[in-house]
Amino acid sequence: MPKKKLMPQKKAGPFQAQDKLTFLLSLVPYLMDHDRVSVTEAAAHFGVTKDQIREAVRLIGVSGVPGETAQYQHGDLFDIAWDDLEENDQIVLTNLVAIDDSPRFSAREAAALIAGLQYLSGLPEHADRSTISSLMSKLARGATGSPSEVAVEASETDMTLALIRDSVERGTAIEFDYLNSRGELERRTVDALRVESVDADWYLRGWCHLREAVRTFRIDRISEPALTDEAMTFGADDVVLPDTLFEGSADDLMVTIDVASAAAPLLADYVRDGSTTTEINGRLRTSVRVSHYHGLKRLIASMPGVATVIEPTEARDVVAAWAAAGAARYDG
Amino acid sequence: MPPASTQPRVPVEERLFSLVLALLATETGLTKSEILSTVQGYRQKYSISGDNANLERQFERDKDDIRDLGVPLETVDSPGQVGNNHNLRYRIPRGAYDLPADIRFSPEETTLLNLAAMVWREGSLSGESRRAILKLRSLGVTPDEPVLGYAPSLRVREAAFEPLSTALEKNAIVRFSYLKPSEADAQLRTVEPLALIQHQGRWHLYAQEPESGATKTFLLRRIVSQIVLTGTTFIPPVGNHAARALEELDDVWNSHSAVVQVEPGTDASTRLFKRRSTTALPNGSFELHYSDINIFADELAGFGPEVLVVSPAALRAAVLSRLHRTAADHA
Repeated sequence: MPKKKLMPQKKAGPFQAQDKLTFLLSLVPYLMDHDRVSVTEAAAHFGVTKDQIREAVRLIGVSGVPGETAQYQHGDLFDIAWDDLEENDQIVLTNLVAIDDSPRFSAREAAALIAGLQYLSGLPEHADRSTISSLMSKLARGATGSPSEVAVEASETDMTLALIRDSVERGTAIEFDYLNSRGELERRTVDALRVESVDADWYLRGWCHLREAVRTFRIDRISEPALTDEAMTFGADDVVLPDTLFEGSADDLMVTIDVASAAAPLLADYVRDGSTTTEINGRLRTSVRVSHYHGLKRLIASMPGVATVIEPTEARDVVAAWAAAGAARYDG
Repeated sequence: MPPASTQPRVPVEERLFSLVLALLATETGLTKSEILSTVQGYRQKYSISGDNANLERQFERDKDDIRDLGVPLETVDSPGQVGNNHNLRYRIPRGAYDLPADIRFSPEETTLLNLAAMVWREGSLSGESRRAILKLRSLGVTPDEPVLGYAPSLRVREAAFEPLSTALEKNAIVRFSYLKPSEADAQLRTVEPLALIQHQGRWHLYAQEPESGATKTFLLRRIVSQIVLTGTTFIPPVGNHAARALEELDDVWNSHSAVVQVEPGTDASTRLFKRRSTTALPNGSFELHYSDINIFADELAGFGPEVLVVSPAALRAAVLSRLHRTAADHA
């Protein structure tokens, strides 16, 4: 299979002004519920840096309402125990203004979470459909406007995922038949470490007892999964998983492909970092990295007329032979 | 001692935060000139006698930014001056701002919501999900540690998604060129967007035609132009459009079936069998469902000699012509 790589997308950069405002409006009610909380604890809870917490708390401490005099008098401002913050890294609000509670979700925020829940409906954690539907209705009621009409088709609980989850709960390895993309069938025994997905494709990342290495398995290529009594060799805490689903290797083959620009996003995952793309006769010429041609021929044959292998010749031949063999089945 | 609060330059978030606080604290609302002359971040730039046009424009943008976050900033008429636009008053009613007290989330629910937000961590809706999570954390609930780690992600590759979701939000009529596979040229479409839905891994726009009122479903990947948001808005009909659009797509899916011979023990056999609503027929063939004959033909062509389409004839022909095309392109 071609090396599939998570492309660097536009990364969530530093907080923008809207994020910072949301953070301030969210931090205040949290602090109101905690008489005293350390900067460290608040940072861990919100998943931000300690500096972000300190900066926000200092701003809250000098903010408030114009008040009757329109002069931001002392009582019109929040106040914090400044010494506690500066000396002990502890946050204590000593005066409150204007804010009583957490803010509602925006219509789009609620829609994003609802669509996210729908997308995840195949997870065993979602098996209790009444919990999920009550959660969705709470989100809708907790939004300022009715959630935007963005929806993802729900799916049945995936039995393979359910079994994977059970194996981790029991602390045992799972085994299954797996067709690698060369078409070879093997019985694999795996310690499940993490389940990942990219759109409609789901993957299991695990420690493979056969290969004695971390491997990524497509869930839809797994068949006959079963629990084993073999204790897990490694758990999720023991292994640092690489960021990318599939690691490149020195043996990778480079293939030059012409692709119609409208179809280029379909190849984006296979394009090597730093490879140049040039436009030739209205098509984009780019190079992709594959571990062998067995996956490449499937990919190219599923993009008829929009993607053509240019070189090496061997790759062209493999694709041509694959398509010709497919066509030959219709003869006679 | 707190640091001095009146610095020459007030950061954007301080100005926005101060505006929200001021409007939450007022029952009767503040007029624009009260806001510009007294609220932190504006007052520093306010000129009592001069021209505040720039500052007014700033305030208009800030209002939009704040409303985007789900803050219900509203306008009310001044008492005794109904209809006088110059004396409109602005406020944020607490009841509409505060998360209702009965909406709280258990640690288990918080875990599910964190995962749901993670789905969007790249690209579209990443800002929305990031901010939703900040609001969720505001409630102080610590999520359960999940048994198995998940890293789900939904990446909308179609550039049309973002402008269309904005159009949905604003009820704006949109215009774009749409290329049907059976047609040589793209057609210009003008429609009222009702919902964005993902079905079988593909994003669709569900929309209504302004004149006929007929609803149509468009595949985002077949939109070949930029999305133009016309200045015109519309009033969407009542109803759960996303649910209806998904139902219609399901109906299409169920009504299209194909019979395919699949070589046992191959990649095609494993993956097609796991496809939604596949049935294995007594003779070993698979009966498969699909929404769009062209997309399904692409998918089947990828399996090369591992599959042979038995019926329908149109799908058989579509797959065969694709295989011939690929073979010819690589000869």
